[in-house]
Amino acid sequence: MELSSIPRLAPGCRLHPTEDVLLIPEGTLNLTGPTREILALLDGQKTVEQVVADLLRQYPDAPADVIQKDILDLLSRLQQRGVVRA
Amino acid sequence: MTQPTPSPVLSTPLSLIAELTHRCPLHCLYCSNPIEMQKAELELATEDWQRVFQQAAQMGVLHLHLTGGEPLARKDLPQLIRAGRDAGLYVNMITSGVGLTEERLATLVDAGLEHLQLSFQDIEETSANHIAGTRSHAIKLALVPVLKKFHVAFTINLVVHRMNLDHLEEFIALAEQLQPDRLEIAHVQYYGWALKNRALLMPTAEQVERSIPIVEAARQRLRGKIHLEAVFPDYFGSFPKACVGGWGRQMMLIDPAGLALPCHSAAVIPGLKFDNVRDHDLRWIWQSSSAFNRFRGDAWMSDTCRTCERKERDFGGCRCQAFMLTGDPDAIDPVCSLSPDHGLLQTLRISVPDVLPIWRG
Repeated sequence: MELSSIPRLAPGCRLHPTEDVLLIPEGTLNLTGPTREILALLDGQKTVEQVVADLLRQYPDAPADVIQKDILDLLSRLQQRGVVRA
Repeated sequence: MTQPTPSPVLSTPLSLIAELTHRCPLHCLYCSNPIEMQKAELELATEDWQRVFQQAAQMGVLHLHLTGGEPLARKDLPQLIRAGRDAGLYVNMITSGVGLTEERLATLVDAGLEHLQLSFQDIEETSANHIAGTRSHAIKLALVPVLKKFHVAFTINLVVHRMNLDHLEEFIALAEQLQPDRLEIAHVQYYGWALKNRALLMPTAEQVERSIPIVEAARQRLRGKIHLEAVFPDYFGSFPKACVGGWGRQMMLIDPAGLALPCHSAAVIPGLKFDNVRDHDLRWIWQSSSAFNRFRGDAWMSDTCRTCERKERDFGGCRCQAFMLTGDPDAIDPVCSLSPDHGLLQTLRISVPDVLPIWRG
């Protein structure tokens, strides 16, 4: 996963409309912190860099380098788990 | 004697298994459907299922698993998928793929199908068709490129046993070539029809031993590409599985005629009364059906289970298996090394390669 990657949810994975849960084939992943907001930004067009910028607009006081690293780590983990593609 | 603790606060079921029909073009040696199948004329109507799916979503159920038999045997399958999605459920279908054309698949995906699960019986046609009791291997292989045209998640399930474990690497390689999103490698479990063929299907200890590093290597190799899940053969274990996540804790199964069961094979246990979704709503059944309450909590457990630190992990193991192997549904699951009947498994683990297969009629 790079800043220029364009991540999207894998087929068969979607956010529950109200609960903090990602519905995946044969199960669910509980979403903590801002994970839901980050995943909601994946539209198959934005790069990771644009997702970071979007999130920073929502949280202007947050440290940009930390947010960037956290988002890259999160999306890489979810990619390893097979629920995010890039 | 330890006093039973009161039943814990009732959890919400997470998944609903809808056995839409017991009709099926396949006659697999390891079929998990009950020996006594529900007849087509007793099957629930479209409106019954629509009502059940709405009630399930209102209770907090997240996943709907449409299965059978073969769900494609139901002409109203697109309406049922749509009903599940409209209710807010995640819709999965377990299918043989027999009878699934590109046009039909398009209507199912359009109706809201999100995930489809296809099983393979072996690496080559003659053997795979022998295990499935019908010509289906080539049909399944031909279906995969069609599936890939659609935005639907796709799982391949490799059902393994003595007859195909010797070429597990090639079997995994076949699945890899077909590029599913997920891969399940599941040892046959001896319920339903599969119990009739247990001696034939039972792997040898050497096969099981050899399969473990092969599965682990595949898991490492496929990480980030294909998510792999494996089901270990529990006759070879020392602790029982948390069958269906614990009796009446996580899932409900509705059979083709509307009976609500806590698991696929619960009907083998004598004396259980199953309520029907034609007579009661799902919430009432979950809370009040005597069959669902029969093995909740720990009051039914032996002292060994009730005082065991693992009881919140495996919930005393599988009730159907305890009954089928010992004749007592309250017994410790014999898979557990603490069961006085654990020695039974040593005898049952003996593979008998020369017994004849028995196919479903």
